[in-house]
Amino acid sequence: MEKIIGEPKKAFMTGNETIAWACLAAGADIMFGYPITPQNEVMHYWTRLAPKYNKGFLQTEDELSAGFTTCGAVQAGKKAFTATAGPGNVLMQEPFGMAEAMRLPVLAIIQQRGGPSSGTVIYSQQEVTLTTFGGNGEGHRIVYSTATHQELYDYVIKGFNTAWKYRFPTFVLGDGYQAKMREPLEMYEPLDKGIELVEAYPLIGVPGQIGVDREPQHLCNIYSLEEELYDVVMQMSEEYESISPDIIEFQAKDCEDAEIIIISHGVVSRVADDAVKILRAQGIKAGYFRPITLRPFPRQQLKDVIANSSAKQILIAESAYGQLERLVKQEIYGETVKINNLFMPGVGIIDFDIINKVKSII
Amino acid sequence: MNQDARIIEAYVGEYASGKSEIAINRALELQRMQRKVTLVDLDIVEPFYTLRPIKESLEKEGLNVIAYSRSDSFGLGETGAMLNPQARWALRNEGDVIFDVGYGIHGAKTLNLIEEAAQSGITVLAVINYMRPMTGSVKLIKEYIKELGIVHAIVANTHLGDETTLDIIIKGNLEIFEAARQIEIPVAYIAIEEKHKESVNKEEFIVPVKFIRRYMPAAIW
Repeated sequence: MEKIIGEPKKAFMTGNETIAWACLAAGADIMFGYPITPQNEVMHYWTRLAPKYNKGFLQTEDELSAGFTTCGAVQAGKKAFTATAGPGNVLMQEPFGMAEAMRLPVLAIIQQRGGPSSGTVIYSQQEVTLTTFGGNGEGHRIVYSTATHQELYDYVIKGFNTAWKYRFPTFVLGDGYQAKMREPLEMYEPLDKGIELVEAYPLIGVPGQIGVDREPQHLCNIYSLEEELYDVVMQMSEEYESISPDIIEFQAKDCEDAEIIIISHGVVSRVADDAVKILRAQGIKAGYFRPITLRPFPRQQLKDVIANSSAKQILIAESAYGQLERLVKQEIYGETVKINNLFMPGVGIIDFDIINKVKSII
Repeated sequence: MNQDARIIEAYVGEYASGKSEIAINRALELQRMQRKVTLVDLDIVEPFYTLRPIKESLEKEGLNVIAYSRSDSFGLGETGAMLNPQARWALRNEGDVIFDVGYGIHGAKTLNLIEEAAQSGITVLAVINYMRPMTGSVKLIKEYIKELGIVHAIVANTHLGDETTLDIIIKGNLEIFEAARQIEIPVAYIAIEEKHKESVNKEEFIVPVKFIRRYMPAAIW
């Protein structure tokens, strides 16, 4: 593969720009997209880079088409991706559902904006429920929630690999702040960091005669009988659960002696990390837990962290009205720690907000 | 009142190249010289974001700031491209006028929408940060500046945010100098964050050095 970055190098960029470069470094062939803030510059930068590297881009007539054309391209063996936000993410759930049903290695970058509906173009963490469980029926997907530009770069590269290795649609969940803010990161060729890129391969039209050389490729999103569907859903669930331990990622810090554990994800985890440091400097034993994969969720890991700590309480902090809280609650069902929350839907959270909240509850 | 001819400047350049930071610092520099200064947020694609969060604090420092406030934005939502009428007529303000021209290459074209801009003797300055991949080589810088249209001078603004080192500043800006030499556009000055003041010897550079303060982190963008 053509070298894109060359020697590892530091760069100063916006998150959207970072994503476009990461897709290039990951060997993506084509992007399908439809404009929506705050992901627009993913498209802008991809379209500036694509002609220089012989890559493709198609602006479709809406997000339904962008999602379905991505589904089509991966079947043809192309590393394809899309990016969207808010109402665009709603529209794309139908193609994402098809990707779940047909096990298509689609990569989607979601830059969360405010809601309901068009909400704001700026920022939120209000697309957690939609991005983790937005399909109809019970398909499976993998969702990474990033916090920094370095992670946007790293997890876009990892996301393509995850999608093509496991054949589940994969999401990199960012937000408007990550999209637009600018900070330094290191760009690199994946191979230079020991990351082997999983090669894309055609899912249909593969060589050999059906019935003679190979079995037919059945990529189905509809079945004639309920029993057929039942078998498929059960088998996909079993497979997903078996690979989940290899996919789950999380961070935990300072939890062992903590009296309260702060749970957050994405960009909010940056201030949660700061808040824990400040609280500890003030003599308050706070701990930090961050799911990186929101789906599969690090259920056992969080239960273990709680069990091995002295915490009697947790605080869930999010720029949403309870979407992370719902995930956490269902995953740690049976735990007896008191669950507190700091819900600030669609606005940024700073360390001060978390510190004040912690002081008000302990 | 301004003692001599009014200064009219527009800062253009790559998205996230530092246009707003440079424009704010320039406006405040002129204001400290007891000049009357108007700072204009000329981002027609995202008109509510760039300067809005720090508009009030800049006004407190004595600038006349043309940018939307929170109350102005109500009901406009995700409006497509829109031009603030106050920005359109900004040159009718008395004194110096500094334009912070948003949104990259297409942004530079919006200067045509400013009334009386052509006759105003406006100076267009391109802000270039070598650490941005799109302007990360002599060749790329030359290509990029060509796309911007009319550019009278370059502001060399190489940095890596909080990870900036003297080495980065020097090496990056030398590449910008080389590009500027080849396309025969002067470098107006080098902008360096003031925290590096102690470690920078201004005499080492062949062009003026201006130490700038970062205001944009308070605006998030």
